[in-house]
Amino acid sequence: MRRIGTALALAIMCQPVHPADVSAESSPDLRNSQIVIAYIEPTKSHLRSVYERMKNRQVLEQLQQFLSPLRLPVKLPIKMLQCNQTNAYYQGGGGPAGGVHICYEYIDWYERFVPLDQTPEGFTREDALVGNFVDTLLHELGHAVFDILQIPVFGREEDAADQIAGFIMLQFGKDVARRTLTGNAHAYRTMASRREPWPRTMYSDTHGHDWQRFYNYLCIAYGGDPETFKDFIEAGLLPKARADNCGREYQQVRRAFNETMGRYIDQDLLKQVQSRQWLRPEDGK
Amino acid sequence: MKLLRSAAALAAVSLCVHATPTTAQTPTGLQNSQVDIAYVEPSNPDYRPIYERLQKRQVLEDLREFLAPLRLPRKVLAKIEQCGKLTRPYELGGPVTICYEYVAEISKLAPKERTPRGVSREDAIVGAFVQAVLHEMSHAIFDVLKVPVWGREDDAADKLAGFLMLQFGKEVARRTLNGAAYFFEASDRTWTGSDFSDTRGTEAQRFYNYLCMAYGGDQNTFKDFVEVEDGAGSRVVRPKGPARTDLLPARRVPWCVKEYNELRWAFNTLIMPHVDQDLLQKVRARQWLRSDDGK
Repeated sequence: MRRIGTALALAIMCQPVHPADVSAESSPDLRNSQIVIAYIEPTKSHLRSVYERMKNRQVLEQLQQFLSPLRLPVKLPIKMLQCNQTNAYYQGGGGPAGGVHICYEYIDWYERFVPLDQTPEGFTREDALVGNFVDTLLHELGHAVFDILQIPVFGREEDAADQIAGFIMLQFGKDVARRTLTGNAHAYRTMASRREPWPRTMYSDTHGHDWQRFYNYLCIAYGGDPETFKDFIEAGLLPKARADNCGREYQQVRRAFNETMGRYIDQDLLKQVQSRQWLRPEDGK
Repeated sequence: MKLLRSAAALAAVSLCVHATPTTAQTPTGLQNSQVDIAYVEPSNPDYRPIYERLQKRQVLEDLREFLAPLRLPRKVLAKIEQCGKLTRPYELGGPVTICYEYVAEISKLAPKERTPRGVSREDAIVGAFVQAVLHEMSHAIFDVLKVPVWGREDDAADKLAGFLMLQFGKEVARRTLNGAAYFFEASDRTWTGSDFSDTRGTEAQRFYNYLCMAYGGDQNTFKDFVEVEDGAGSRVVRPKGPARTDLLPARRVPWCVKEYNELRWAFNTLIMPHVDQDLLQKVRARQWLRSDDGK
């Protein structure tokens, strides 16, 4: 279960496609037929607008395209639905209850939660919406993939799911990396500052502390692309002691990804997916 | 793991040593020739007794013996040294270092009397030492064997250490995991702001992780580690009354068996192919902890 987030997703994921993308968008090949999507109509009226926006934006259809290089041996349902809880989670074991669940309540909550104003460091609401939504989808997909492909995870699975999300965000060019990772860091920083201090027993949670997750995302970003994210260091957001270790941490994740998942990725389709523009300037607005 | 003995070492740490320990280490006649060891003489005279005790107890010789089944493609140096700080994190290609300062800290934090969860001073010393040695060695194992690690490497090292503690019978598991968990419980402190940028988890997280690993690996032996037992799918309800902070909170309990199974899968998939099974049987048959360890 995860945390929150997703919200924006949509925004993010955006829709339709720029002229340059048209061919990719219409390509019949660019769709993962093992991903089964559904927008389930909510019964609560206040969630209706979220439901409609998600559907109109074709968020899940885009995700289905985005995941086309992933070879899955079984069907993976991805649903947006009213859960009666503020959450997003993956349920293993197959069956009608299985799959990735993104709750409308989470999206609704997160949109109200994100600060309206830009921060002095340059964090924006738009990026926080986009970044956290993308993160939520990718994080839950991470859990699903670890489970379905029986990927060995030596560390904490929640951190591993964050790592896979952060890693993927770095593989689609500097603009995507900058918006999603910066935005997601902003989301965690906001959560961290609003939820302090944690009672001691909260440290028993399977998830890391909000501040730890904030630093982990900054670190994977800086480790993966020091040039694009060096201002994190200059602004003092990421302490030097940790920053010095980030290259090693990024390489660790890259190796884990390549060695445990590489064989499940179709490289030709990956290139097509990487060449496509997934974020639009108006996403998150 | 040998460690245990090491633990004993600790004993050293704490005090005294019996005349017998040296004999315990020879029964298997095993050793990993890729593991080099060194006790580096401390310049601070305060650490001299620790240095002497660990050496006399042959803690590192035990480690080398314990690691006999592991096929390492290159040499790894394991040393005990004065670091000027509690720990010296492993660097790629580097040696494994246990600091005298850390060993002294273990002794300092060990309880004078048995705690409510049942941790004796001896087990606190043995378990924390074994944890430290196995944790540091785990980093080297990940590096040398090029193990793909998902999740934070420091947590993975805690988990590999904890997994090993669970593979040598209930008594070893009980003593070492109790002590390992206790050390993090006792060293708990409040983290704020950039403290959270540390690559390691907070002491409280590491404490709870060890309780969870123990319970997940052996629910029967460790049922007293949890606030309420796993209801096998049913909702876990916390007992009434004030929460005990030395037990695993109910919210985490339902995850522990799954987490342990994932850990076992990771070990079997990524480490076991590098383990000689015949030698492993011999290592598992050996008694690594002694009743006087930690005393």
